[in-house]
Amino acid sequence: MNAVSIFGAIAGTTFRALLGRRRTLLMGILALIPVLIAILYRLAGEGMVDDRVILDLLIVRTVLPLTALVFGTTALGAELDDGTGVALLTKPIPRWQIILAKIAVAGTVSALFAAASTIVTELVLGAADPAGTAAAYTLGVLVGAFAYATGFVALSVVTSRALIAGLAYTLLWEGWLAGILPGTRILSLREATLGIIDAVSPRVFERDGLDFTGSIVLVGIVLIGGFLIATSRLARYQVRGGD
Amino acid sequence: MTSSFVPGVELDHASRWYGNVVAVNDISFALGPGVTGLLGPNGAGKTTILHMAAGLLAPSSGTVKVGGAPAWRNPAIYRRLGLVPEREAVPAPLTGRQYIEFNARLHRLPDPRAAAVRALAMVDLAGAADRAIGTYSKGMQQRVKIAGALVHDPPILLLDEPFNGMDPRQRLHMIDLLRSMAAEGRVILFSSHILEEVERLADSILVIFAGRLAASGDFREIRRLMIDRPRTVSIRSADDRKLASALLPDPSVSGVDLQPSGLIVRISDGDRFARLLPGAARAAGVSLHEVLPTDDSLERVFAYLVSR
Repeated sequence: MNAVSIFGAIAGTTFRALLGRRRTLLMGILALIPVLIAILYRLAGEGMVDDRVILDLLIVRTVLPLTALVFGTTALGAELDDGTGVALLTKPIPRWQIILAKIAVAGTVSALFAAASTIVTELVLGAADPAGTAAAYTLGVLVGAFAYATGFVALSVVTSRALIAGLAYTLLWEGWLAGILPGTRILSLREATLGIIDAVSPRVFERDGLDFTGSIVLVGIVLIGGFLIATSRLARYQVRGGD
Repeated sequence: MTSSFVPGVELDHASRWYGNVVAVNDISFALGPGVTGLLGPNGAGKTTILHMAAGLLAPSSGTVKVGGAPAWRNPAIYRRLGLVPEREAVPAPLTGRQYIEFNARLHRLPDPRAAAVRALAMVDLAGAADRAIGTYSKGMQQRVKIAGALVHDPPILLLDEPFNGMDPRQRLHMIDLLRSMAAEGRVILFSSHILEEVERLADSILVIFAGRLAASGDFREIRRLMIDRPRTVSIRSADDRKLASALLPDPSVSGVDLQPSGLIVRISDGDRFARLLPGAARAAGVSLHEVLPTDDSLERVFAYLVSR
């Protein structure tokens, strides 16, 4: 047995745990919201729509960070919270292998939900260049999903209140602070996702935020830094005291 | 000649504190093959000791070793160590077989399926192997945790309150299993707050009270210390003063206190006093209304051992 089969064992049980019936249903409903709004928009017959406004608002600002938040903080954090993680911690496995498997699964599941929501929403909207826009947004949310998931997995090892901390980052830092203090956008994964999307499919009106290079640098820092921090913290992880 | 004995589990002046609270205070012991019981009341520090020995908690001071290697930040120890935590949850959606196979794969065992079959049979769960763990009783969940800890056949086994939730038949089966494993040369350390469990299973015991090692060694010796310790008995009678005069000359009585609520008698030999009291009361013509031991709780016994 080698590292690949260890990865497979951890990834398999994590997939199964993440895609429980209730969580899948809730995330599915979340991913359907942009589609439903797109349908309503079309039914209202308000003419040509700027599909990017809807995709920015509903996918990049909402579905992507929320799915990654839920899956990223649950992939390992739930096991550490409820005690099932002890089975994982008391095995002769290098901690980086555990973190890698958890990030891979959380990122993949988040990417699947966000990408599916993106593609269907864009097709329903039927804007000018649906294939080009859908491709750019799909690529953006795929990269964004792994970056967000890495950050949230690391957060779940650092604090037992990762869901609240992650929500605060998404709503306060990225949603509110980035609006009034543009300088904070250099640390916004939302901006990095938009930077990648714009590089693939440029906007008519230039967006004020991270460019492609800045986006790639930030994503790289979060992927590598998050992985290293999570690995280091898991190696020093101490179970909560009994008696 | 030099000794080549490497203890299975070794704590050397190990302490652990959380802020200002000391959970474990300067504990040292070294365990070889056999079953050792970690006995103490709830909150004594047993789980903290087991978590430190299992590498899940860093000692605040001192050292903790497993098989001669540091336990903290050393995942390699888990090749030789199996842990059954008290509070570990088991994933409800998985079947017993899936869960044990998962554990076997993480240990890189060459045949995880066969290892899972063997471990499940050891804990008498073969018949329920393909049921979801969520449908198991508490005792079955406890046994599936033990199977998970045994799947790689470790020479060192740590168990935190392993009999919780088990019925008497399951307890007997588990005691037999652990005894046979110890007879094969394994180092087994288990915690319990129930004296009878420790008595039935352990060859030697470590008594923990308030984070300190109160006593350690052969079970029978410590049992004798517990039984022979000075005790107090509260007595209400028709004439407490007269009864005190009758009891005091006997060597089993080390002192009496006359109190408004009755007589408090300090005794040094419980058996002798039990034989003395009815006769002495009858001879003095005093009726006994109530005789109560005032300090027979396990906590008092542990407190006595610490104070020695």
